[in-house]
Amino acid sequence: MDYTKQIQEIVAKLFAEDKIDVFAGYRMTGFDENQVPVLIQSSGEVSRLVFNDKSVFNLCNYLKYDHTRNKRVGLVVKGCDSRSLNLLLTEGQVKRERLYIVGIACDGVVDEQGNKMQNCEECMFPDALVYDELLGTQHPEGKYKVNSDIKELASKGLVERRAYFEEIFESCIRCNACRHSCPLCYCTKCCIDQETSKLYNGANNTSSAFHALMTWSLHLAGRCVDCRNCEKACPSHLPLHLLHKWNERVIYENFQEHLSGVKEGDRGAFYKYSLQDPDDFIM
Amino acid sequence: MEAVANNQLVSIEKPEIVAPPNWEPVIIGILCNWCSYAGSDLTGTSRIQYPPNIRIIRVPCSSRVDPWFLIKSLQTTADGVLVSGCHPGDCHYITGNYFARRRFLVTKKLLSFVGFHEDRVQFSWVSAAEGPKFAKVVAKVTEDIKKLGPLHLYKKENFDK
Repeated sequence: MDYTKQIQEIVAKLFAEDKIDVFAGYRMTGFDENQVPVLIQSSGEVSRLVFNDKSVFNLCNYLKYDHTRNKRVGLVVKGCDSRSLNLLLTEGQVKRERLYIVGIACDGVVDEQGNKMQNCEECMFPDALVYDELLGTQHPEGKYKVNSDIKELASKGLVERRAYFEEIFESCIRCNACRHSCPLCYCTKCCIDQETSKLYNGANNTSSAFHALMTWSLHLAGRCVDCRNCEKACPSHLPLHLLHKWNERVIYENFQEHLSGVKEGDRGAFYKYSLQDPDDFIM
Repeated sequence: MEAVANNQLVSIEKPEIVAPPNWEPVIIGILCNWCSYAGSDLTGTSRIQYPPNIRIIRVPCSSRVDPWFLIKSLQTTADGVLVSGCHPGDCHYITGNYFARRRFLVTKKLLSFVGFHEDRVQFSWVSAAEGPKFAKVVAKVTEDIKKLGPLHLYKKENFDK
């Protein structure tokens, strides 16, 4: 999967026709084989752009920051990124007419060790769902599968699960990189910062990490699209996808097979309800 | 195992934590203003006894209950939380409790996934006319949580130094 040439041609054409002000893509770090996001402002910089299976980050994240606000933006999206873009469009965070979307029919990206990422192996929607132009050949739609590590954890006993998650919350350093890297966390003020509360403000311990990660994952429940930007950003390499994938599983099984960001106009699972929702856990 | 043999209460999530003698659980009850709060009022005015372990917080609707409230209660003083609202179809704001129901399920499942016993957070529908039912619900929740023992996970006070 290497679309470097095609993307460079497309972007050069877009700048020549004056269709965009800024283009979000990937460039090489310059040190190793890995890539980082880059914002291109003019056609002279187009040669910096690359795209191959090391292009892991979700560029929709840049739509919420000031350097692209109120500008005409072009960007590259893979399947998972396009789901988060769909949600941003639905929730009114970006305007479709300001975007030029280069969709990718993605074959899966690899991590730093060169192994295929876990979420790519289990990907349901590898092709971009919203695009102006699609590169690559389209894949058949996948089937919903429960993650193997979720299954394994769920089959363990309560005490083991508690011990496992206590270790995870212990190693969190509250840098909030997961929140900043999440394309769907666009609030300018966040409740996990707790600026007025002495209870959590600046605290860096297991209790505050538990509070922050649980609140964060519940605010993303029914919206998370499993792009794993949070995991790529986490300096402690915490398996944050466990919380999200568990929520996704509960929501998929109980709320009419809801999957977030698949259709434009379809909001998160908590924005709607059904009379048939399970009621048996309520006295 | 010894603690169990001596008939002492241990925390179900952390068996090394033993409850002090005469330990009583603290339960936070988050009740909707229009049904459950009025129902609990009726329980009182009807002189029906229910366990005094519950501390009641009044909210406008069960959909006002952010999952954050439950997390924060469990982190501070509570050993268990009870959230109660109007029966489906009876919501003062027409559909509030339908939205709340979805959030409750996900919160309950997530808390049980990270290692809280499922019965630490419980939910009920109690209408304004169901005074006896409210007493029964509180008795059941208190009994359940007494069996589970004290909650010792991620308590804020353990980290305040």
